[in-house]
Amino acid sequence: MHFEPGTEFRLPPRPMTRERMRWYVDIQDTVRIDDGRIHAQPPTIHDDDEYARSQGLPGIIADGMISTNWILSLLVDVFGPVAAGKGGLRTKYIAPVYEDQTLITCARVTSVHVDGTGDVVHALDVWCEDDTGKKVTVGEARVHLPSAGSDRR
Amino acid sequence: MAIGGYVSDLDRGDVMGPVEYVMSRFVVREYCHANEMHQPCFQGIDKQIAPPTLVHLDKLRLYRHACPAGKGPWARLHIEYDATYHAPIRVGERLRVKGTVVDRYVKRGREYVITDIDLRRASDDELLIAYRDTVILAYSANATKS
Repeated sequence: MHFEPGTEFRLPPRPMTRERMRWYVDIQDTVRIDDGRIHAQPPTIHDDDEYARSQGLPGIIADGMISTNWILSLLVDVFGPVAAGKGGLRTKYIAPVYEDQTLITCARVTSVHVDGTGDVVHALDVWCEDDTGKKVTVGEARVHLPSAGSDRR
Repeated sequence: MAIGGYVSDLDRGDVMGPVEYVMSRFVVREYCHANEMHQPCFQGIDKQIAPPTLVHLDKLRLYRHACPAGKGPWARLHIEYDATYHAPIRVGERLRVKGTVVDRYVKRGREYVITDIDLRRASDDELLIAYRDTVILAYSANATKS
Protein backbone atom coordinates (compact mmCIF):
# COMPACT_ATOMS: atom_id res chain seq x y z
CA MET A 1 0.00 0.00 0.00
CA HIS A 2 1.18 3.47 -0.74
CA PHE A 3 -0.38 6.82 -1.59
CA GLU A 4 0.67 9.34 -4.17
CA PRO A 5 1.90 12.80 -3.14
CA GLY A 6 -1.03 15.17 -3.03
CA THR A 7 -3.45 12.56 -1.70
CA GLU A 8 -5.52 14.18 1.04
CA PHE A 9 -7.45 12.65 3.93
CA ARG A 10 -10.04 14.33 6.14
CA LEU A 11 -12.12 13.33 9.14
CA PRO A 12 -15.71 14.55 9.44
CA PRO A 13 -16.13 17.90 11.27
CA ARG A 14 -16.26 17.69 15.06
CA PRO A 15 -17.26 20.46 17.45
CA MET A 16 -14.78 21.01 20.28
CA THR A 17 -17.36 20.72 23.00
CA ARG A 18 -16.85 21.42 26.68
CA GLU A 19 -17.08 17.68 27.28
CA ARG A 20 -14.31 16.85 24.81
CA MET A 21 -12.06 19.37 26.54
CA ARG A 22 -12.86 17.94 29.97
CA TRP A 23 -12.17 14.36 28.84
CA TYR A 24 -8.54 15.33 28.22
CA VAL A 25 -8.35 17.01 31.62
CA ASP A 26 -9.79 14.00 33.43
CA ILE A 27 -7.54 11.54 31.64
CA GLN A 28 -4.35 13.12 32.97
CA ASP A 29 -4.50 12.06 36.61
CA THR A 30 -6.40 8.94 35.57
CA VAL A 31 -3.36 7.80 33.59
CA ARG A 32 -0.88 8.76 36.27
CA ILE A 33 -2.72 7.01 39.09
CA ASP A 34 -3.73 4.01 36.92
CA ASP A 35 -6.02 2.30 39.44
CA GLY A 36 -8.95 1.51 37.16
CA ARG A 37 -10.95 4.62 38.16
CA ILE A 38 -11.37 8.12 36.71
CA HIS A 39 -9.62 10.94 38.62
CA ALA A 40 -10.61 14.58 38.13
CA GLN A 41 -8.19 17.49 38.51
CA PRO A 42 -8.44 20.87 40.19
CA PRO A 43 -9.78 23.58 37.81
CA THR A 44 -7.79 24.13 34.62
CA ILE A 45 -7.94 26.51 31.65
CA HIS A 46 -9.51 23.62 29.74
CA ASP A 47 -12.53 22.98 31.93
CA ASP A 48 -13.22 26.00 34.15
CA ASP A 49 -14.20 29.36 32.63
CA GLU A 50 -13.54 31.36 35.76
CA TYR A 51 -10.06 29.92 36.14
CA ALA A 52 -9.38 30.44 32.42
CA ARG A 53 -10.38 34.11 32.73
CA SER A 54 -8.11 34.48 35.75
CA GLN A 55 -5.27 33.42 33.43
CA GLY A 56 -6.09 36.07 30.80
CA LEU A 57 -8.19 33.90 28.50
CA PRO A 58 -11.75 34.76 27.40
CA GLY A 59 -12.94 31.29 28.49
CA ILE A 60 -11.87 27.67 28.36
CA ILE A 61 -9.69 26.52 25.47
CA ALA A 62 -8.92 23.02 24.26
CA ASP A 63 -5.70 21.24 25.14
CA GLY A 64 -3.70 21.04 21.92
CA MET A 65 -3.12 17.33 22.45
CA ILE A 66 -6.74 16.68 21.51
CA SER A 67 -6.07 17.85 17.97
CA THR A 68 -2.76 15.95 17.96
CA ASN A 69 -4.60 12.79 18.90
CA TRP A 70 -7.26 13.37 16.25
CA ILE A 71 -4.45 13.66 13.69
CA LEU A 72 -2.84 10.45 14.96
CA SER A 73 -6.24 8.75 14.79
CA LEU A 74 -6.65 9.83 11.16
CA LEU A 75 -3.21 8.39 10.35
CA VAL A 76 -4.09 5.07 12.04
CA ASP A 77 -7.35 4.97 10.08
CA VAL A 78 -5.43 5.46 6.83
CA PHE A 79 -2.26 3.42 7.39
CA GLY A 80 -3.23 1.04 10.20
CA PRO A 81 -1.45 0.44 13.54
CA VAL A 82 1.97 0.98 11.92
CA ALA A 83 1.20 4.71 12.08
CA ALA A 84 1.56 4.39 15.86
CA GLY A 85 4.71 2.30 15.68
CA LYS A 86 7.53 3.90 13.72
CA GLY A 87 7.70 7.41 12.33
CA GLY A 88 7.06 10.80 13.80
CA LEU A 89 4.53 13.52 14.41
CA ARG A 90 5.03 17.20 15.08
CA THR A 91 2.12 19.49 15.83
CA LYS A 92 2.15 23.17 16.66
CA TYR A 93 -0.88 24.90 18.16
CA ILE A 94 -1.06 28.20 16.31
CA ALA A 95 -4.45 29.43 17.49
CA PRO A 96 -6.61 28.73 20.53
CA VAL A 97 -9.59 26.42 20.06
CA TYR A 98 -12.66 27.69 21.90
CA GLU A 99 -15.77 25.89 23.09
CA ASP A 100 -17.95 24.57 20.25
CA GLN A 101 -15.52 25.62 17.52
CA THR A 102 -15.79 22.98 14.80
CA LEU A 103 -12.57 21.26 13.75
CA ILE A 104 -11.74 19.24 10.66
CA THR A 105 -8.69 16.96 10.91
CA CYS A 106 -6.63 16.73 7.72
CA ALA A 107 -3.50 15.12 6.27
CA ARG A 108 -1.90 15.40 2.84
CA VAL A 109 0.90 13.20 1.48
CA THR A 110 3.88 15.34 0.49
CA SER A 111 6.41 12.66 -0.49
CA VAL A 112 6.98 8.91 -0.56
CA HIS A 113 10.32 7.14 -0.59
CA VAL A 114 11.92 3.83 0.34
CA ASP A 115 14.50 4.16 3.10
CA GLY A 116 17.63 2.11 3.70
CA THR A 117 15.75 -0.59 5.59
CA GLY A 118 13.19 -1.08 2.86
CA ASP A 119 10.43 0.79 4.66
CA VAL A 120 8.11 2.86 2.49
CA VAL A 121 8.12 6.23 4.22
CA HIS A 122 5.21 8.59 3.71
CA ALA A 123 5.74 12.22 4.68
CA LEU A 124 2.60 14.23 5.26
CA ASP A 125 1.48 17.70 6.15
CA VAL A 126 -1.09 17.47 8.92
CA TRP A 127 -3.41 20.08 10.32
CA CYS A 128 -6.74 20.88 11.97
CA GLU A 129 -8.82 23.69 10.54
CA ASP A 130 -12.09 25.19 11.65
CA ASP A 131 -15.23 25.40 9.54
CA THR A 132 -14.04 28.67 8.00
CA GLY A 133 -10.83 27.03 6.80
CA LYS A 134 -8.67 28.74 9.44
CA LYS A 135 -5.85 26.45 10.58
CA VAL A 136 -5.50 26.11 14.35
CA THR A 137 -2.98 23.23 14.49
CA VAL A 138 -0.28 22.54 11.89
CA GLY A 139 2.55 20.06 11.56
CA GLU A 140 4.14 17.15 9.79
CA ALA A 141 4.07 13.38 10.11
CA ARG A 142 6.16 10.45 8.90
CA VAL A 143 4.73 6.97 8.63
CA HIS A 144 6.98 3.97 7.98
CA LEU A 145 5.29 1.09 6.23
CA PRO A 146 7.45 -2.02 6.74
CA SER A 147 8.72 -3.87 3.71
CA ALA A 148 7.30 -7.27 2.76
CA GLY A 149 8.76 -9.91 5.04
CA SER A 150 9.43 -7.52 7.89
CA ASP A 151 8.44 -8.85 11.31
CA ARG A 152 6.79 -5.47 11.96
CA ARG A 153 4.04 -6.17 9.41
CA MET B 1 18.93 23.77 39.15
CA ALA B 2 15.31 23.96 40.18
CA ILE B 3 14.37 20.34 40.86
CA GLY B 4 12.29 19.92 44.00
CA GLY B 5 10.29 23.14 43.69
CA TYR B 6 7.63 24.41 41.25
CA VAL B 7 7.30 23.47 37.60
CA SER B 8 7.49 27.15 36.77
CA ASP B 9 10.99 27.24 38.28
CA LEU B 10 12.44 24.58 35.97
CA ASP B 11 15.49 25.79 34.12
CA ARG B 12 17.92 24.71 31.45
CA GLY B 13 19.88 21.62 32.50
CA ASP B 14 17.33 20.33 34.99
CA VAL B 15 16.88 16.57 34.74
CA MET B 16 13.62 14.91 35.75
CA GLY B 17 13.49 11.23 36.55
CA PRO B 18 14.03 8.57 35.50
CA VAL B 19 10.65 7.17 36.46
CA GLU B 20 9.55 3.61 35.70
CA TYR B 21 6.03 2.32 35.17
CA VAL B 22 4.16 -0.41 33.32
CA MET B 23 1.93 0.49 30.37
CA SER B 24 -1.45 -0.93 31.34
CA ARG B 25 -4.47 -1.93 29.25
CA PHE B 26 -6.60 0.43 31.33
CA VAL B 27 -4.39 3.44 30.59
CA VAL B 28 -4.36 2.77 26.85
CA ARG B 29 -8.10 2.18 26.60
CA GLU B 30 -9.09 5.13 28.77
CA TYR B 31 -6.65 7.54 27.09
CA CYS B 32 -7.87 6.47 23.66
CA HIS B 33 -11.49 6.60 24.76
CA ALA B 34 -10.95 10.17 26.02
CA ASN B 35 -9.57 11.09 22.59
CA GLU B 36 -12.16 9.09 20.60
CA MET B 37 -9.57 6.70 19.22
CA HIS B 38 -11.59 3.53 18.90
CA GLN B 39 -9.30 1.47 16.67
CA PRO B 40 -8.84 -2.19 17.68
CA CYS B 41 -5.07 -1.74 18.09
CA PHE B 42 -5.87 0.53 21.06
CA GLN B 43 -9.21 -0.80 22.32
CA GLY B 44 -8.87 -4.50 21.48
CA ILE B 45 -7.65 -7.56 23.35
CA ASP B 46 -4.83 -8.90 21.17
CA LYS B 47 -1.65 -7.07 20.12
CA GLN B 48 -2.73 -3.95 21.98
CA ILE B 49 -0.33 -1.02 21.63
CA ALA B 50 -0.24 2.41 23.23
CA PRO B 51 -0.72 5.58 21.20
CA PRO B 52 2.67 7.29 21.09
CA THR B 53 0.96 10.55 22.02
CA LEU B 54 0.70 9.19 25.56
CA VAL B 55 4.28 10.39 25.96
CA HIS B 56 2.78 13.83 26.54
CA LEU B 57 1.46 12.60 29.87
CA ASP B 58 4.92 11.33 30.76
CA LYS B 59 5.85 14.99 30.98
CA LEU B 60 3.22 15.44 33.69
CA ARG B 61 4.47 12.28 35.39
CA LEU B 62 7.98 13.76 35.44
CA TYR B 63 6.71 17.13 36.67
CA ARG B 64 4.95 15.40 39.54
CA HIS B 65 8.12 13.47 40.37
CA ALA B 66 10.55 16.39 40.10
CA CYS B 67 8.42 19.35 41.20
CA PRO B 68 6.43 18.32 44.29
CA ALA B 69 5.42 21.94 45.04
CA GLY B 70 3.11 21.95 42.01
CA LYS B 71 2.73 23.96 38.84
CA GLY B 72 3.41 27.44 40.19
CA PRO B 73 1.29 30.60 39.94
CA TRP B 74 0.24 30.43 36.28
CA ALA B 75 -1.30 27.86 33.98
CA ARG B 76 1.14 26.56 31.39
CA LEU B 77 0.13 26.49 27.75
CA HIS B 78 1.37 23.61 25.60
CA ILE B 79 2.28 24.91 22.18
CA GLU B 80 4.23 22.17 20.39
CA TYR B 81 4.42 18.38 20.34
CA ASP B 82 7.34 16.86 18.42
CA ALA B 83 7.92 13.13 18.70
CA THR B 84 9.94 10.54 16.83
CA TYR B 85 8.66 7.02 17.23
CA HIS B 86 11.24 4.24 17.00
CA ALA B 87 9.12 1.23 17.91
CA PRO B 88 5.59 0.48 19.13
CA ILE B 89 4.85 0.48 22.85
CA ARG B 90 3.29 -2.84 23.81
CA VAL B 91 0.82 -3.09 26.64
CA GLY B 92 2.41 -4.76 29.65
CA GLU B 93 5.90 -3.42 28.96
CA ARG B 94 7.86 -1.80 31.77
CA LEU B 95 8.99 1.63 30.62
CA ARG B 96 11.53 4.15 31.82
CA VAL B 97 11.08 7.86 31.16
CA LYS B 98 13.49 10.71 31.73
CA GLY B 99 13.21 14.40 30.93
CA THR B 100 15.76 17.15 30.47
CA VAL B 101 14.98 20.85 30.27
CA VAL B 102 17.04 21.89 27.25
CA ASP B 103 16.07 25.54 27.02
CA ARG B 104 14.20 28.34 28.76
CA TYR B 105 13.95 31.73 27.09
CA VAL B 106 11.79 34.82 26.74
CA LYS B 107 10.20 35.76 23.42
CA ARG B 108 7.74 38.64 23.01
CA GLY B 109 7.27 38.82 26.76
CA ARG B 110 6.49 35.12 27.22
CA GLU B 111 8.70 32.50 28.84
CA TYR B 112 9.20 29.33 26.83
CA VAL B 113 10.41 26.02 28.25
CA ILE B 114 11.62 23.19 26.01
CA THR B 115 11.92 19.71 27.46
CA ASP B 116 13.35 16.60 25.82
CA ILE B 117 11.84 13.35 27.02
CA ASP B 118 13.20 9.87 26.29
CA LEU B 119 10.89 6.92 26.71
CA ARG B 120 12.73 3.61 26.84
CA ARG B 121 11.86 -0.04 27.34
CA ALA B 122 13.18 -0.81 30.81
CA SER B 123 14.24 -4.37 30.04
CA ASP B 124 16.83 -3.52 27.37
CA ASP B 125 17.00 0.30 27.41
CA GLU B 126 15.80 0.52 23.78
CA LEU B 127 14.65 4.02 22.88
CA LEU B 128 10.99 3.86 21.91
CA ILE B 129 10.09 7.56 21.66
CA ALA B 130 12.15 10.74 21.61
CA TYR B 131 9.84 13.62 22.42
CA ARG B 132 10.42 17.37 22.49
CA ASP B 133 7.78 19.38 24.36
CA THR B 134 7.41 23.15 24.20
CA VAL B 135 5.29 25.16 26.64
CA ILE B 136 4.86 28.77 27.56
CA LEU B 137 4.66 29.40 31.27
CA ALA B 138 1.68 31.78 31.12
CA TYR B 139 -0.87 32.82 28.52
CA SER B 140 -0.65 36.53 29.32
CA ALA B 141 2.54 38.15 28.10
CA ASN B 142 4.62 39.40 31.02
CA ALA B 143 2.54 37.44 33.55
CA THR B 144 5.55 35.53 34.78
CA LYS B 145 7.36 38.77 35.53
CA SER B 146 4.81 39.91 38.09
